[in-house]
Amino acid sequence: MTGAGVGRQAQSLLNDRRYEEAEALLRPHLATGSGPLVLWRQLATAIRPQGQIDETRRIQEMLVSHMPGDYALRFDLAETLLLSGDFERGWREYRYRYSLPHTERIDRKVQRPRWDGREIAKQTLLIHDEQGFGDTFQFMRLVPWARERSRGRVVLEINSEALPLARRMGGFDDIVAHGSLPPAFDCHCEMMSLPMAMGLKLSDLPGAMPYLTADPQRLALWRERLQGLPRPLVALVWAGRPTHPNDANRSMRLTQFAPLAEAQATFLAVQKGPAEAEAATATAGMKVMCLAKEIRDFEDTAAILTVADLLISVDSSPVHLAGALGRPVWVMLPFIPDWRWLMSRHDTPWYPSTRLFRQARRGDWEGVIQAVANKLKIFASAHN
Amino acid sequence: MPTQSDLNIEAALQRAHAHWNAGQADQAEQYCQRVLAIWPGQADALHLMGLIAHAYGNTDIAIAHLRQACLAPRAPAVYASNLAEMCRQKGLLDEAETMARRAIAMDDALVMGWNNLGIILQECGKFEESAACLERVVAFQPDWAQAQNNLANTYRRLGRFDKAAQHYRRALALAPDYAEAHSNFAFLLSSQGRHDEAATEARLAIDLNPRLVDAYLNLAEVELSRYRYEDVLRVLDMLRVFAPQHPAALMAYAKALRHLERLEEALDFASKAVLYAPQSAEAHNTLATVLQSLGRTEDALIAFERAETLPGAVAEEAATGRAALLMEAGRKDEAMAALSHAIAHFPNSVQTLSMLTDLQTCKPGQPVLAPLEACLAEGERRPLGDRVKAHFALAKAYMDLQEPAKAFAYLDEGNRLQRGLFDYSSAATKEKFGNVIERFGQAKYKAFARSTIASELPVFVIGMPRSGTTLIEQILSSHTQVTGAGELSALRLVVERSMNFPYGIEVIDGAETTRMGQAYLNEITKLAQGSVRVVDKMPGNFIYAGLIPMLLPKARIIHARRNAVDTCLSCYTKLFSGEQRFAYSQTELGEFYRLYEKLMAHWRAILPPERFLEIDYEEIVDDVEQQARRMIEFMGLPWDAACLEFQTNSRVVRTASVNQVRQPLYKSSKGRWKAYESWLGPLLDALGKGAA
Repeated sequence: MTGAGVGRQAQSLLNDRRYEEAEALLRPHLATGSGPLVLWRQLATAIRPQGQIDETRRIQEMLVSHMPGDYALRFDLAETLLLSGDFERGWREYRYRYSLPHTERIDRKVQRPRWDGREIAKQTLLIHDEQGFGDTFQFMRLVPWARERSRGRVVLEINSEALPLARRMGGFDDIVAHGSLPPAFDCHCEMMSLPMAMGLKLSDLPGAMPYLTADPQRLALWRERLQGLPRPLVALVWAGRPTHPNDANRSMRLTQFAPLAEAQATFLAVQKGPAEAEAATATAGMKVMCLAKEIRDFEDTAAILTVADLLISVDSSPVHLAGALGRPVWVMLPFIPDWRWLMSRHDTPWYPSTRLFRQARRGDWEGVIQAVANKLKIFASAHN
Repeated sequence: MPTQSDLNIEAALQRAHAHWNAGQADQAEQYCQRVLAIWPGQADALHLMGLIAHAYGNTDIAIAHLRQACLAPRAPAVYASNLAEMCRQKGLLDEAETMARRAIAMDDALVMGWNNLGIILQECGKFEESAACLERVVAFQPDWAQAQNNLANTYRRLGRFDKAAQHYRRALALAPDYAEAHSNFAFLLSSQGRHDEAATEARLAIDLNPRLVDAYLNLAEVELSRYRYEDVLRVLDMLRVFAPQHPAALMAYAKALRHLERLEEALDFASKAVLYAPQSAEAHNTLATVLQSLGRTEDALIAFERAETLPGAVAEEAATGRAALLMEAGRKDEAMAALSHAIAHFPNSVQTLSMLTDLQTCKPGQPVLAPLEACLAEGERRPLGDRVKAHFALAKAYMDLQEPAKAFAYLDEGNRLQRGLFDYSSAATKEKFGNVIERFGQAKYKAFARSTIASELPVFVIGMPRSGTTLIEQILSSHTQVTGAGELSALRLVVERSMNFPYGIEVIDGAETTRMGQAYLNEITKLAQGSVRVVDKMPGNFIYAGLIPMLLPKARIIHARRNAVDTCLSCYTKLFSGEQRFAYSQTELGEFYRLYEKLMAHWRAILPPERFLEIDYEEIVDDVEQQARRMIEFMGLPWDAACLEFQTNSRVVRTASVNQVRQPLYKSSKGRWKAYESWLGPLLDALGKGAA
């Protein structure tokens, strides 16, 4: 078979997520350690989902050294580096996230220089959040650190949904909702570029916990609303935003949660979005209270998560909200998760009260649910 | 947003600017549109719309908005200045210059206006005025890194390398992560021959901005200057990932591939460069050199002429290139005319002057000396390539003037500078040649595979460079049945593609030797023009001499021999266009000569005598007819008296000996070294006993 023929066949296997077969096809053509770069790139794509992270990283580093101007490749390397916990180079490569064909359009062309982490006393620094709510909740903690580091005046521009939570967190001098006009400023930084600017290390985490708090009035409302329900109260989220590129990998169906019903607990569906309808279809033996209609915004979610004893969730924004609130969270993760959960470990440096349940094999949610169900029985009996 | 009725234009513009500063393009544009709805043609709103369009890469729209904004009666100077810069980016240099001049005429304290005018003038080739503008900018605003970089670029173009370096350093001290300044500095360092530092700067620039095209081109230039052609291709492959049709990259590919003798590929890249950049003198010049290497003289002349007439700094190179090509083709009158033309236009061109020195015997008071010596007096402010050429040219001139002390001072320094450009090791050569001798052991040799090719077409002339190979080829190719093909890389390429010579020579079978022999034969058959013999006079093929009868059993080999010291002296006084890495140190030259001699002694012992002839240069000089007849007879051809008229042979000659073979034989080249004995100590030591 010609090189191009191998490439075409490998691509079709990769499109079908037949990673093992793609790897088996590619390996012999790369056995000498040389070969077309396009095949090496496919090999990296084939072995990463299988968990061969060190080799993926070596291949991606080799590819970047040959094609430094290929930003998609550099973003792939960034995700692998961060997943391996190599923050130093990982954050540097992560700066290419707005240089990809599908992200170039949303790159914000701020007409002031980007803050590089140095002291800028008497100047104003605009920090603005980016796309995902989860990202915002996770990285908001860096705003007060940036203020301390820069010794400047910090203006936080943040999406309106997270704005009240940010307001209570503090650590800035001024705050505006995303899209509204911020006061004049001297330099700026995207929230997810703060780690690069400040050289964030794993050992710096988690910082002061919790850094978010629920609104006292909402909290009172939800305390009343959930009063008298048998404890423990376990909040559930089974699906992320369906437009997320990795959603198929991370989201589940509520019916898959059935084994959790073995534990004596009250389940609160805090799922929002298209998947919230699943809560209406009762799962055999599982008492699920559907709260979606009553949740107006993240202020409600934050209050519920504060009242609840535990959040069990796939990798989605409520995980970060609960983590930042310092509440107990169990996250169910795919075999190769998003880089922020690192590999192998069952805890996370980002949130001390969060526990991770990982797939042992690609696509194996049953094993994850069973492990969660077993742990939940113990958790519930301790609460009863 | 306020409704239209209560919209105050000044407040709306203020908000538009504030939104744009914060990167909120949608809101900024909405406020501008509101202003324009009330006041069509409002200059500030149009100007801001232009800036936004520019930031998103829509330069055409940006220019349209700014042109309209500049029509407003009270449009401020800064709008003209911004329009000037956008026009420059779009290559509209006339409009750019006009607008920049208007900007500073309106407001001569507008620093940005002076800066923009400075870089526009730089692009127009008006370097002195550019420097004056930019000096003004850095005086106003010494901490502005971009201005320091711009000024440095102008000084580099002016050949003021010292000042250029100073301002690049200043720019980088102000902004250590300034990718463009690192890249430009790399280019400067490369011109100065400081290749390691240049490569470091260029790589740093790529690291800081992986899409900075110039940084890759400058890194490729560094590798080209130090003869690392494979590295050039690697760098250009990196660039191709995101800029596949960049004309400068296509030219760089063509140059590197030409040096690697991959001429068809080089032609493909050079032709593409001309296609994508038909107004680029550099592209036409690159195409010309590739065509020249392919032996397409007429096409090459046309391309050189095109390069000479287009604007840009390449005209000088193209003019000398054309003269050199005419000289190769034996069209001496046209060559001298081209050269005079070049001198008239570029009186201080080192390239032209050094070619002129090469072509003429220098007489006292010759006007070439002063500009060449002036070039050297400028030291590191001049490109290293110029300095090397000037040293060799002055050495030649002072030898003509019989001032050997001066000549050797220049020669030693020129060789030292050139030697610094690459790695070479006598020990590695010794090991390599030793390996060849061992693998081709006399006892084993007879049993090695032979091809079935019976062609008598190939004739190889081998030996040391400067040992008379060109003269021999010239004599042979004057025969009506013989074509001289010049110095071909064909044999080397066939060998390199087939094996790691000399390893595995004993296991090569008949099929493989036939395939290799046929591959070589195919190459020279294209050049034969119906002749029955084709002479390939690549001297360095001596390393493969034992292999030749295996691939081509009926091929003939002529070994050109010449007095060791004369040969080495001649090498030492030449700046070769290709690579002769052993030829830039007297010691290494002497060591190389002895290794060559030892290898040839081995070949003499094993080569079939009826296919191997040795000719002494000195004997040709003494009696050309006798030696010519010997060679023609050896080649199995009838005698042709034309062989004695070789000076008039008009075929192309492409080696360092180009201007000599057309002169009648001169006995002065025999024993020439004795006049320089006292400057040849290291060479004589290396050659050892019996050197004389």
